[in-house]
Amino acid sequence: MALIKVEDLFFRYPQAKAPVLDGLSVAFEQGERVAILAPNAAGKTTLARWLAGLYPDGGLVAERGHVSMDGKPWPQWSAAERAAAVQFVGQVPSQQLTGCAFTVYEEIAFGPCNLALPEGEVRARVEQALAVCNLKHLAKRDPFTLSGGEQQRLSIAAALAMQPRVLILDEPTSNLDPESRDDFIAQLDALPAGLTVIVFEVALRPSLGLARRFMLLDEGRIVVDGTPETVLAHPRCIETLGMTAVARAAFEIREAGRWPEGLALPLTLAVAEQSFREAARA
Amino acid sequence: MSSRSGPQSGQTALLFLPGDSLLHRANPLTSLIFMLWMISAAAVLPTIGTTILIVAGVALSFAMGVGPRVTKRLVITMLPLLVALLVVHGFLVSRPDFIPLVGPLTYSPTGLEYAAQVVTRIGAMLTASLIFVTTTHPGDILKSLDQRGVSPGVSYLIASPLLLIEPFSERAKAIRDAQRARGLDLTSTFKARFKALPALLIPLITLALSDLDHRASILNSRAFRAQKHRTVIDAPPDDRFQVWLRRVLIVLAIAQLGIPLLWR
Ligand SMILES: Nc1ncnc2c1ncn2[C@@H]1O[C@H](COP(=O)(O)OP(=O)(O)OP(=O)(O)O)[C@@H](O)[C@H]1O
Ligand SMILES: [Mg+2]
Repeated sequence: MALIKVEDLFFRYPQAKAPVLDGLSVAFEQGERVAILAPNAAGKTTLARWLAGLYPDGGLVAERGHVSMDGKPWPQWSAAERAAAVQFVGQVPSQQLTGCAFTVYEEIAFGPCNLALPEGEVRARVEQALAVCNLKHLAKRDPFTLSGGEQQRLSIAAALAMQPRVLILDEPTSNLDPESRDDFIAQLDALPAGLTVIVFEVALRPSLGLARRFMLLDEGRIVVDGTPETVLAHPRCIETLGMTAVARAAFEIREAGRWPEGLALPLTLAVAEQSFREAARA
Repeated sequence: MSSRSGPQSGQTALLFLPGDSLLHRANPLTSLIFMLWMISAAAVLPTIGTTILIVAGVALSFAMGVGPRVTKRLVITMLPLLVALLVVHGFLVSRPDFIPLVGPLTYSPTGLEYAAQVVTRIGAMLTASLIFVTTTHPGDILKSLDQRGVSPGVSYLIASPLLLIEPFSERAKAIRDAQRARGLDLTSTFKARFKALPALLIPLITLALSDLDHRASILNSRAFRAQKHRTVIDAPPDDRFQVWLRRVLIVLAIAQLGIPLLWR
């Protein structure tokens, strides 16, 4: 059975003409690392909230379809069960803080304390989250005085400390500089293999470091679902999100007619060297 | 992370001054009840008593290493009040015992006495509160409430004004800057500033309301109130002596308030 399953979800915001999600279906397995790509206003945040069980909520209901985890639709989960199962980290860092902590350390400890875990367990979780998100040196700071990028890492640390089975991240690296981004991706990659991570991104490079399965969200549906190579080479993806720098270089060479027939465009530096050698030989 | 949150954090601590005095080391509940006892004493003592209380309180604040801050706040708050009450009750409000002073000026001894009584009473209560907030970190109050088994909903309700001051003042600054960039006049006359007030307050309130929504969803996702009690980390230490001291102070406070009522 799929871990999280979306079935024929049709959703529009009240008063909006066009639907944001137009009969979307998709399933995620345990331990998958998935990147869902889409340009601005394509519905990333909306889909993320549905996956995390934050919708349906009040007047925001689907006209058709539903989302379930472990075969049980989200509305049947209690808030506490859901908190242990899935953590969602939204796009605006300052809105992810509880406002119930005077220090970064307490902010991360807040969730585990609410679960009434033993003190030693709480501390172990906080230390681990501090390390993963590179926040050790900020442990004593007031969360609201952190920079945007620091707040972003803090909100992810707080989510990790809940030790969910699924982590849903809405543009988690948007406020990070390239170096912290690479560090952060490497750390996420090192998280326990059983953890399912779903990231929503507009940027290609960070997604490549993290996910093995890629999707493109377009006009309310998942239009491509597969390996990074198939998704990033899809015309619609290139049109809306562009290419990685390496792919762009290879693409220009191909446009100039000097790229070998049948050789795939490289996406990352790791495979590029080989591809460019072959191209030069041809 | 061995010590308590007290000496560690920054802005939100407000008037708190890190230190290692007796009151800094005391359990926050002990300090709280000590403050309440002082306030109850200030409510019933005559002027001479409240004056002694102020002097003793200020002396105590110096002994606890928070003297300058307590004294400064006390003077800034009380001086205008003292002058206003002395003038109004001593010279302006008509009383039967008016005595000529110089020229047409007359004054009333009972009026002055009354003003002194009110000022010293408020002053003593303020001294008590100032000693409390300068020696007790708000985070530690929260922890000791958690530790006592006070329901998380209640203790965070109490602490939220302190916790939210920082994000709120940040937000207010951002709104002011944004409005100014769009030509709102905040620099010239008082009237112009007054007229600008709605433009600043309305977004602040709207945003606060939308924040409530976000915060409720975040608190849910962190399992807030999922269990009856929370784990308390770095709990402020407590001991039997302090437990008994608190009981004695509570009984004293109630007796102080009750006995004068029975007397009458
Ligand atoms: N609460 C709402 N009420 C009405 N319309 C909304 C609401 N939230 C989002 N929308 C609209 O739904 C569409 C999808 O929004 P969504 O926030 O999901 O996009 P996104 O892909 O996350 O964009 P971005 O990359 O800018 O974060 C947008 O056109 C947006 O204007
Ligand atoms: Mg979004």
